[in-house]
Amino acid sequence: MRTRKLTELLPFVAPVHVLILSVIVLPALYVAWLSLMESSFGQAPSFVGFDNFIRVLSDPSFRSALWNTVVLVVVAVHVELLLGLLLALLFASGLPFRRVLLVCTLAPYAVSEVIAVVSWRYLFDPQAGPVTQLLLSLGLPVLDWSFEPVHAMILIAMLTIWLHLPFTFIILYAARLAIPGDLYEAARIDGARPWQAFRRVTLPMLGPAIVVALLFRYIFAFRIFSEVWLLTGGGPARTTEVVAVYLYREAFTYNAFGTAAATAWIMVLASLLLALGYVLVLRKQVTGNAH
Amino acid sequence: MKDLRTGLTRRRLLGTAIGGAAAMAAFPSWAQARTLNILSHAVHERVLGTAEGDLLADWKAANDASLSFTTFDSNPLQDRLFREASLPETEYSVGYLIDNRPTSDIAALFEPLGPLNDANPIEDFGDIAPGLIQGMTVDGNLIGIPVRHATQALFYNEALLEEAGISAPPQTLEELVEQANQLTFTSSAGTPVTGMVLASDLAVFPVMFARAFGGDFITHDFQLVPDRAAMEQGLSVLRGLFEAGALPRSYAATRNDDMVTWMQQGRAAFTVLPFARFAQLNNPEQSNFAGRIKAIPFPGSSTLPAGTPMSAVVEAWAMVIPRNATDKELAWSYIREVSSKRVTLGMALNGNGPVRVSSYADPALMQANPVAEIEAGVLANARGAFPPFPEAARAQATMLEEVQLAVLGRKSVTDAVGAIIDRVGPMMPA
Repeated sequence: MRTRKLTELLPFVAPVHVLILSVIVLPALYVAWLSLMESSFGQAPSFVGFDNFIRVLSDPSFRSALWNTVVLVVVAVHVELLLGLLLALLFASGLPFRRVLLVCTLAPYAVSEVIAVVSWRYLFDPQAGPVTQLLLSLGLPVLDWSFEPVHAMILIAMLTIWLHLPFTFIILYAARLAIPGDLYEAARIDGARPWQAFRRVTLPMLGPAIVVALLFRYIFAFRIFSEVWLLTGGGPARTTEVVAVYLYREAFTYNAFGTAAATAWIMVLASLLLALGYVLVLRKQVTGNAH
Repeated sequence: MKDLRTGLTRRRLLGTAIGGAAAMAAFPSWAQARTLNILSHAVHERVLGTAEGDLLADWKAANDASLSFTTFDSNPLQDRLFREASLPETEYSVGYLIDNRPTSDIAALFEPLGPLNDANPIEDFGDIAPGLIQGMTVDGNLIGIPVRHATQALFYNEALLEEAGISAPPQTLEELVEQANQLTFTSSAGTPVTGMVLASDLAVFPVMFARAFGGDFITHDFQLVPDRAAMEQGLSVLRGLFEAGALPRSYAATRNDDMVTWMQQGRAAFTVLPFARFAQLNNPEQSNFAGRIKAIPFPGSSTLPAGTPMSAVVEAWAMVIPRNATDKELAWSYIREVSSKRVTLGMALNGNGPVRVSSYADPALMQANPVAEIEAGVLANARGAFPPFPEAARAQATMLEEVQLAVLGRKSVTDAVGAIIDRVGPMMPA
């Protein structure tokens, strides 16, 4: 009876499987196959084993791009988490004009990445940008991002934080609103101070939401491309290049599809490793705090 | 079974769906009999004109054909073209190819055009610049018909030169450096002016500066940095300009479009751009200095022996037919028409760099384009930035990386040139 029901249900489920198979599994397998080949336009792919992986991993430009990506991801994701948490607590504590402020906070998420980068490039133009001019008029130091790689990385981090803060914020805000008021009431009766209430009630209750926000942001942030490509193009002299830009160059500038495919797989594994380690540690801490 | 709410029966639903699909499948027959799909840059479509100025109106009527352009920026266009040509079949029967791309492997993706030209020749084929034809001949096969060239010129803002008390544009590279330094000032309008603006992501500029001293990056017979001292001198000049503030502090982030904007706004006094940009730089709707931005040949160094010609960089586009194209006959007909004297001249009047020598003798072009005569002179000695080979794009990027390090002062010029030789060497064809 059960088997017959499954058979009857299969046609309804099958389209989902076909979709996942065709848009995720098969392309991933094709990229894995391609990563073992030397391939370019006008050439039949030829098997080279793991040469592409060795070539990519031994390329100083790739290692530099990987380091830049890790630094950007770690900094941006954690600053986003901190700011998102602060904003969520601020909104939950009751703010005047809450709806308007909520719209303002969420607005960057509705802006196209390309438009955002072009706008920021204009605002921070080293010669004529309004922000640069304002900082100069106030006698403050400016971001010399077109010359100093560190300044460029700071600007990229600021931009990506601005763009993706709403994602982290909305997850944490929703989780904070879901915490029952009774818990705070009980904590208050037990004599807990605000900081103790935050540490013993808010933080443990927000734990799962924090894990979800971090996990998603780690994986998304590792793919950072538009902000770097449109702002600095990876320059000066490839000093701000990230892994996705490296991949793009291999595939679409040099037409080296084998090394591009190998880069893609290294990128997937690196992002999973980075996220996995953090999530395990955080889960442990959250579980510990909860008990 | 009938749906009681809508009155829709299964038979009616199926009948409507099948009828609709059949009508959609038949739709192309309502349009013009043939559509030629073309992969190009937007500029290639624009110079052919529109509406009353459509240069191909008669051809379209005679062939009962319409054109469908799909346009991209240069690099994505080449990528898409090669991708289409690698498929079992493509609906794009004409593509536009840059002359530094066709390696042997790439050229094999496209139809040899020699036999087509023998059977149904292009009007006065010998009138098309032989150097451009040579650039599209790979392994003995002509694979593309040149359609546009972009030859680099030195543009200067005449008004800014006058304001700085400079009566004539530079005749030598040394004068150019001196004037660029002098023109790094705040203009009477209060605009901070930089002597020269150059993009940092194109090989054109360092190659031009190396050639000004008789050097080069990669010659057409594949010699890498044939004159190391000349390359070092060229890069030293760029570094000197940067250190003096005569190149913008944002040099590493400057792109091609920035150069146009800076010149139009009077933020830079000199730049290097194709002659074809003359109209845009002097467009009153875009430029604050319409009519005051002039073009001259890029000057060579005074250290070169007298009479040594300066070889400016030229980039050429050609029309190709993918081997797997569906309508090669219509594609060749289109290429013949676009290559005709009439259309070549018409496109030149619309701002295209003409590939026919005779176009430059046409009074209408001379009158419409004040720099046509200068351009013709520069074109005579111009050559590509580097020849096509499989690792050319990587070689260019590597060279630019080292040039940026040298110009920004993060590496000595000598070390940067050494690194170019060491790193690009293994990429060179055997």
